[in-house]
Amino acid sequence: MSSSLLTFSGHQFLRQRLVLSILSGKHVKIDRIRPEDKNPGLREYEISLLRLLERVTNGTVIEISVTGTALLLRPGVISGGLVVHDCPPSRSIGYFLEPIIMLAPFSKKPLNLTLTGITTDEDDLSVDLLRTVTLPHLQPFGISDGLELRIKKRGAPPGGGGEVQFLCPIVKQVKTLNFVDPGKIKRIRGISHAVRVNPQFSNRMIEAARSILNRYIPDIYLYSDVYKGEESGKSPGYALSLLAESTTGAIHCAEAISQAGVAPEDIGLRATRALLSEINRGGCVDRRHQTLVLLMMVLGSEDVGRCRMSEPTEKTIQFLRDVRSFFGTSFKVVPVDSSNPECTQLLYSCYGTGYINANRTLA
Amino acid sequence: AQSLASSSRKGKRKDWIKLIYASDLTPAEVLHGKAEGDKEEDVDDFFTIKHKSDVGEVEALDKGKEPIDDVELEKWQDEELLESIRGLFITGEDSG
Repeated sequence: MSSSLLTFSGHQFLRQRLVLSILSGKHVKIDRIRPEDKNPGLREYEISLLRLLERVTNGTVIEISVTGTALLLRPGVISGGLVVHDCPPSRSIGYFLEPIIMLAPFSKKPLNLTLTGITTDEDDLSVDLLRTVTLPHLQPFGISDGLELRIKKRGAPPGGGGEVQFLCPIVKQVKTLNFVDPGKIKRIRGISHAVRVNPQFSNRMIEAARSILNRYIPDIYLYSDVYKGEESGKSPGYALSLLAESTTGAIHCAEAISQAGVAPEDIGLRATRALLSEINRGGCVDRRHQTLVLLMMVLGSEDVGRCRMSEPTEKTIQFLRDVRSFFGTSFKVVPVDSSNPECTQLLYSCYGTGYINANRTLA
Repeated sequence: AQSLASSSRKGKRKDWIKLIYASDLTPAEVLHGKAEGDKEEDVDDFFTIKHKSDVGEVEALDKGKEPIDDVELEKWQDEELLESIRGLFITGEDSG
């Protein structure tokens, strides 16, 4: 079995390696996890993630060394079904949901996952962006019917107290992607929310965002999402999440979160300027969703998938390297327009592995 | 690997395939080039000095989104730049 064991070092890029291991069925060993740290080994949230992965699969064996600086994962089958999990307050729900979204379409049974914890924070995608941006990124691959994220309660850091329900259908195989026309931005949507603070904050963020965006297109709808009482979690906070959709269905997003001593107007402007910066980068895929799209391209049917995107992020570069280790697939990454040195966009293409969901129960 | 980094900095275009699959650079080095302050290490030395970056630095979290670069965003206060991206919207001219 040694041929199917892959070894990595360090705590970085842990989530993508665990996902690739479970999908490919290859065992993975990760050592040197924070060996020099004052508090060495895996963190509370990483242990929690491993538990969650154990719950959505069947037969997965996870061994953690005594010091917590090494772990071995022997993946089982992705079982799906009804799962409930409490996310610790050290990371938001987005940290846990991102890898789950990559795995869930290949379950045995459709996943119905309830997660509780922090719904929006500075480090990971908020549940609003996961719902409005991440899930639509799966649509071109044929994963859409019954795909849903319900935000039942909001929970701002540090207390949390939010709750979401993620429903994911299963697929037999994902479609090959051919997405090379970014189109033009036709609409802008946004969700502004404020919990346990003056509800006017939400409108103030929207007004600030409109002061910049109104010049471009008329189709702008910024929604003020109000949660009261029990549904608003344990801590005060507010945020503005924005997305821009193009005529071909390309989506770019940005968000800004409340900070102590910063006016809601400035949060609104921050989110808006970040969105313009993303729109300016262009491409067919939002930068934070490069790895999700590339993964689905690798798993696509045995044909050449192509996608136009901006330059890879650090995470994407390592992801491409890790994909080659697990699946043996290399991408071709070339400039879209080699005659124009101003154009930084790249064309990513690969030959799909023809991944078939063998876990699926035949109905 | 160092020559690769410098050549990519000089050259107009990065060879992404080579940088991603055939170099020893870390992802951060691929994007931003090798850190300038790094001293050449004597490989023949029996003892190797631990890199400063290995100890005591703020840990890089496995994040879903990169932090917003506020300095980078300041440029969007410029009216000309705001106008320059009009072509990316359906209402804009097709000039690009």
